[in-house]
Amino acid sequence: MKKTPGMMELIAAGWRGVTRYTGTLFTVFVAQSLVALICLVMLSQVFASVFAQRPMFDEGVRGDLIALVWAARYGSSTLIASAWLVVGVALLWSIASWFLVGGVNAVLLKRPEGRAATARQFGAGGVNTFLKYGLLTFLSVPFLVVVLFVLGMCATVAVPKMQYALTMPQLLAPLALALLPALFLLAVGWTVLDYARLDLSQHRDSHELGAFSAYFRALRLVVTRPLTIGHTLLGWLVWLAIGVGYSYIAFGHPMLGAGGAVTLYVIRLGVQLLRMATKFAVMAGQAYLHEQRTAPPRTVEADIVAAAK
Amino acid sequence: MASAFRTLPPRAALRYAPRMSFVPSGLSSRLRCAVLGLALCVGCREKHGPPRPLQPPRVDAISALRPGTTITDVTTANYKIDARLDPTAHTITAAQTLTWTNRGASAVEMLPFHLYLNAFKNSQSLFMLSSGGQLRGARIGNNSTSWGFINVESVQVAGSELISKVRYPGPGADRTVMELPLAAAVPPGASVEVSMRFTVQLPEVFARTGYWHDFHMVGQWFPKIGVRVGAPGFEQWDCPAFHGRAEFFADFGTYDVSIAAPTTHAIAATGVLTDVKDTPEGIRTHTFHAEAVHDFAWMADPFMLTLHGDAQVEGGTVDVRVLYRHEQLAYARRHLQAAVGTIELLSKMLRPYPYSVFTVIDPPPEATDGAGGMEYPTLVTTAGDHALARRGLRLPEFVTIHEVGHQWFQGMLASNEHQEAWLDEGLNEWVDGHVMETLYGDGEDAIDWMTWRANITAVRRAFASPESSLAPIATTPDAYLDFDAYAATTYGNTMFAMMTLENIVGTDQFLAAMKQYAQAWAFKHPTGSDFLASLRASLGDIDWFIGPALQQNASVQLSIEKSHCAPLTPPRGVFDDDQGHRVIDAKAAPSTGAFTCEVVVANRGGVPVPVEVEVEFADGMVERLLWPAQTGNWHRFTLEHNTPIAAVRLDPDQKLVMDNPFNNSMRSHGDASASLRASARVAFWAQSLMQVVGL
Repeated sequence: MKKTPGMMELIAAGWRGVTRYTGTLFTVFVAQSLVALICLVMLSQVFASVFAQRPMFDEGVRGDLIALVWAARYGSSTLIASAWLVVGVALLWSIASWFLVGGVNAVLLKRPEGRAATARQFGAGGVNTFLKYGLLTFLSVPFLVVVLFVLGMCATVAVPKMQYALTMPQLLAPLALALLPALFLLAVGWTVLDYARLDLSQHRDSHELGAFSAYFRALRLVVTRPLTIGHTLLGWLVWLAIGVGYSYIAFGHPMLGAGGAVTLYVIRLGVQLLRMATKFAVMAGQAYLHEQRTAPPRTVEADIVAAAK
Repeated sequence: MASAFRTLPPRAALRYAPRMSFVPSGLSSRLRCAVLGLALCVGCREKHGPPRPLQPPRVDAISALRPGTTITDVTTANYKIDARLDPTAHTITAAQTLTWTNRGASAVEMLPFHLYLNAFKNSQSLFMLSSGGQLRGARIGNNSTSWGFINVESVQVAGSELISKVRYPGPGADRTVMELPLAAAVPPGASVEVSMRFTVQLPEVFARTGYWHDFHMVGQWFPKIGVRVGAPGFEQWDCPAFHGRAEFFADFGTYDVSIAAPTTHAIAATGVLTDVKDTPEGIRTHTFHAEAVHDFAWMADPFMLTLHGDAQVEGGTVDVRVLYRHEQLAYARRHLQAAVGTIELLSKMLRPYPYSVFTVIDPPPEATDGAGGMEYPTLVTTAGDHALARRGLRLPEFVTIHEVGHQWFQGMLASNEHQEAWLDEGLNEWVDGHVMETLYGDGEDAIDWMTWRANITAVRRAFASPESSLAPIATTPDAYLDFDAYAATTYGNTMFAMMTLENIVGTDQFLAAMKQYAQAWAFKHPTGSDFLASLRASLGDIDWFIGPALQQNASVQLSIEKSHCAPLTPPRGVFDDDQGHRVIDAKAAPSTGAFTCEVVVANRGGVPVPVEVEVEFADGMVERLLWPAQTGNWHRFTLEHNTPIAAVRLDPDQKLVMDNPFNNSMRSHGDASASLRASARVAFWAQSLMQVVGL
């Protein structure tokens, strides 16, 4: 470790990353929004095929709770199918993200100048690490199992308390106790994954580094540097706060009519862009911290050591 | 069981005082605050300290019935019971004297008694076999302290011990009914006095009764004689074994019940408190008196407090009490408001509440599944206290209203619950809708929270279970597939059928008919036939509705089968007249510009209700049509108009509550704007999910 940056330095690095590679951020965001738009179009066709002639569905969408329940009962299989469609899109996006994250990491680590160089770096980075990122994801599965186990254990304790809660603190405190340990572990797992990815992106050719060793190098880093977890958690808190803030402001403003719908869509895009920028900033901060890490053994050094033996 | 009671300090100055038992007493105040704050942060519930002796309660200086109330023929089964509770062992030892009068026209040679608590004695009781050991969200426990039973130790008639002669008719190992053969038959009009000694072991709270820690809800706990039913001279005992889906049925009588319990415990019971006596050993005996009731239940708990309210009814006031633990105060206030409002309203709608007191027990949340939501004369248990039941989400109020409503439907109109549960549960649900609407406002009586509004009927309707159609409403509870089917049909479908009938005949007429029924049959045992005859007498011929809706497995299932318009053209073609063939073509008979439309509506449900149809044309004009008397299960309307049909709505005022309203309205041309809007929202969440699982 060359030096030990603090949280403010990571945040500043994140800001620099966002402002310097705004084009990359927008590109990734447009790609994501296009996928979401395709999802929207598919869902609207599915919904329309079932509900277009049923005015009660309109009432439900406008906020009539009972009409919404009727619609859900009437079109339950449609809604279940739509939910699976969303899950499928999200899973496909998570696989596509192996490429996109690889690209973004390469850009943030190599710092190319100019649009064309950035695009080349992005594409090359994404392609070169795609399979290793996939392997990393599979390596993190046991950690996810641990997260689920912890969630189950905590929920077993918390649910009976929640069942008989008389006040909101009595309800929310067990809920937090049930969720927070698992969420914390999840954040740890994600942080490990993030730094392992950075390792693979930076040293993909010149160093003796596979997904497995990158994963455990990252795990060691995260365990020894709690700042990394704090940084990730801060990012997710900001991400969450943007969503909560949007929900708070939007509550009670139905934005009816075609104009309202378009306005709402644009606002939602803005919210997603802000969240995406937050994630991008976290990645940039992580890249900055990663650069301070001791590099793994070079391939050539490993060869020399082997030959000497 | 006095030896089991602890010796307690004198009652002077000892009042219930909750303690925060998780805060060690030796800590500094700042540290205590920190510990307290931490405890609150992690959501600990305030714990109660050990039970402490309470001040003796004030005796009710009122009679059991409100002054001026006279009720005749309500002394068939009079009970005098002396009971003693051991709250540590959760046992009751009691002596009971029943004076039963044969009101029939035939002599009686055997007396059957319900021993309901034996339903919880083992897994082989009819109750356990038919319920699978679970009821309304509660499940019988698995350990040795979970089971409950009643053991009759002595039965004496005219001084003779008859315990060796009693028999248990089963079925199988079931001991929820005990038959007592009499040495001498009881002739019509004569009375017999039966003395018993019995011991009760309460179960861990389950199926309306039992204990949870210090809380004891004691219901269906004493040997209760059956009811003679049938035509004069041909009466039969109605005293079946306790089934998992059945409730109760008993004769009216007077109850004088003494309950001895430690002075630490607050006691609430059916009727009025007439006497309180303390012993130096720390035992307090409460004596209750109730008249014109058919059951007696009580509660003992060391931490209960009482809220009082007055319900103003015709000719007097009812003292309404809610017993609650202090952490449930906010909910207790809501229960009190609901109880007072319901008593006042139903006293006007049906007949005045005749008793001078009414008690609501708000059980601790952990005991609610087992003890909550049950009705006894002048005393009910409620439920629904939960952090999510915010003000405006009126589940707690609804439970209280429902249980208070039972004071009329089954309390006074004492129908046979194990034969015709719809007569009390279903009619009660119907009246609950009126009470909720009156007390909390139309359209928002069940949900009035944030931006959401809904009334209880709409909520019940929207969540009605599809299995409700498996059996007719007029089905005995034990004949249903399971508890869910029983509940959906008995509670929900009866409510929907009654509301539909009310909307068809008119609210004023229907309310008058129900009032007539309540006044004619109060303090009797009306059957379904009696109820329907009463309705017929008030409303005229309603058999076309009640036959299929109540006695057959029929419903209302409206649908729009067809809505189609075509340009209206004059006759064209080749016509013969005096001058021979005449050809009329499009030029000779041009289109009028109008449209001829047909709308085909159907009712596949089988209840031939009149159906209103609202047709909206493209120019905005709305026309109402009526499909008055259904002779078939579909009907065709033919209309002419300048523009085609834009939309068709069946039952636009939603009078036919038995029907699913979702497919009762249809646009001629699809409008995908709502679908697009809904999709945009889902896509937003989808994109959020994408950001969580990927970049």
